[in-house]
Amino acid sequence: MNSSNSASGAVQTGDGMNRRSFLRASAVLTTGLAALAASLKPLMELEDFPTAERFMQKYYTELTPTEMDKVLKRIADETEAQYGKRPHVRDLKPMDGVEFAYCLNLTRCIGCRKCVHACVKENNQSRNPEIQYIRVLRLPHGSMDMEKAEHHYNPEKVPEPGFFNMPVQCQQCKNPPCVKVCPVHATWTDTDGITVIDYDWCIGCRYCEAACPYWARRFNFTKPFIPKDKLNPEMAYLGNRPRRQGVMEKCHFCIQRTRDGRYPACLEVCPVGARKFGNVLDPSSEVGTILRTKRVFIQLKEELGTSPRFFYYFDV
Amino acid sequence: MNQNTKITVVVGALAVAFLSLAAGFWANAWGHQEAREEIPLVDSQFNTPDTFRQSYAELMRIKADLSDFDCYACHDKGKPPPIRYDKNHNIVVPQEHAGSIVMAHGSHDRNNLCFNCHDEQNLELLQTRDGKQLKLFESTRLCGSCHGPTYRDWDAGVHGRTGGFWDAKPNQERTRLNCVDCHNPHKPKIPGRHPAPPPHMLHPVRQVEHATTH
Repeated sequence: MNSSNSASGAVQTGDGMNRRSFLRASAVLTTGLAALAASLKPLMELEDFPTAERFMQKYYTELTPTEMDKVLKRIADETEAQYGKRPHVRDLKPMDGVEFAYCLNLTRCIGCRKCVHACVKENNQSRNPEIQYIRVLRLPHGSMDMEKAEHHYNPEKVPEPGFFNMPVQCQQCKNPPCVKVCPVHATWTDTDGITVIDYDWCIGCRYCEAACPYWARRFNFTKPFIPKDKLNPEMAYLGNRPRRQGVMEKCHFCIQRTRDGRYPACLEVCPVGARKFGNVLDPSSEVGTILRTKRVFIQLKEELGTSPRFFYYFDV
Repeated sequence: MNQNTKITVVVGALAVAFLSLAAGFWANAWGHQEAREEIPLVDSQFNTPDTFRQSYAELMRIKADLSDFDCYACHDKGKPPPIRYDKNHNIVVPQEHAGSIVMAHGSHDRNNLCFNCHDEQNLELLQTRDGKQLKLFESTRLCGSCHGPTYRDWDAGVHGRTGGFWDAKPNQERTRLNCVDCHNPHKPKIPGRHPAPPPHMLHPVRQVEHATTH
């Protein structure tokens, strides 16, 4: 500051600031800082601040087995701290000579939504707000027009005369638009055909949600809520481990079960046996038999060229 | 305006801006952290793999009370029970069986004779049309003797639900259900049931009433 501006002629400080201007400036500055601190209040509510370990974690494919063990231990620790139950977290890799496919018999499906809720239970999805990977549509007979689909139907009894039901979940496309748009490669298709998401790499931009023609991706707008006693402790890194606020999730064919040789949860709960799952490279598998012997197939929105690994069929 | 005044004005303006921001947060002006509506947890009947009914084989497995299947507690051995019909040639289910048996197998009530499936000489056995006798827990083969294509599909794992392991190995078995785990043999059409609740929307924008879009 210029000392010639000082009209009072008081004692000058070394850097040219007098007592009055110092007091005035500091009073304003203190108020300003207090106001700044108050305006940053929402930051105080950040619960899930990333630890250095999580922040510095490498990309999934670059992790060595020892590093992956550390990551799995960190996830188990974090989950235990939050839910009071130590989970069994694994990093399951795709099996050799296996490509998964899913077939759904539209003649059998009655639209009871049991698959939806078995999936929620198995995959530790948020109960409030509700996140569900499967959306069961109700369509009038004789049409495949998605504009006429309704997924809030709630009659006394299903199936309803004049309608059929069509559960839609991630179609595990061979040519997935969601993978193409991801700017950070947080989602990719594994060799067994499952499109997976690394929840630690996702930045939550929701490009994939916009790109998916099946509305299969779900975003955690808020911190997911799962009752402590409802947590499924059998977890996989790319599968059903608890998600954070601000990441994307979707159906992954129950990676924690299917890469272990089991059937997905939605299939095991279907009361009419409309859902079929297996290795499409094995001709004697259930899906192999269906694709060979049954007649009518629908790959949903086939014209988009996404080539789903999820087939809808009718039989008599 | 000198340097000092400039700084004061700028810092003062910033302070005012931050204060109003803080006041905004304090007053929850942007609807931050609004309490969400309670969503009731779904009934456990909607996420457990229960079947529609329990078959004889399943009752045997869980060692349940099988006294209902002891035919000769009431019937006499070697004396086939008489079958009665009403005026419209519909079978009359005897009063003793009326609670458990509804005759509705086949459209137009075509398969309406007990001894099409039950052995009249030994009521605790089943018999196929070509005279093969089967135990009650072997009923799937009886069904297959008429429903060929369905039996073929079932055999390949295509009809009916499978469970356990898709990757079947010695200690990882694929479980199968029998026909009668889901279908009532006297009334095989699967009855309608109440669906699980529809999804709750974060921000309800519309109400869907029952039975719309006809």
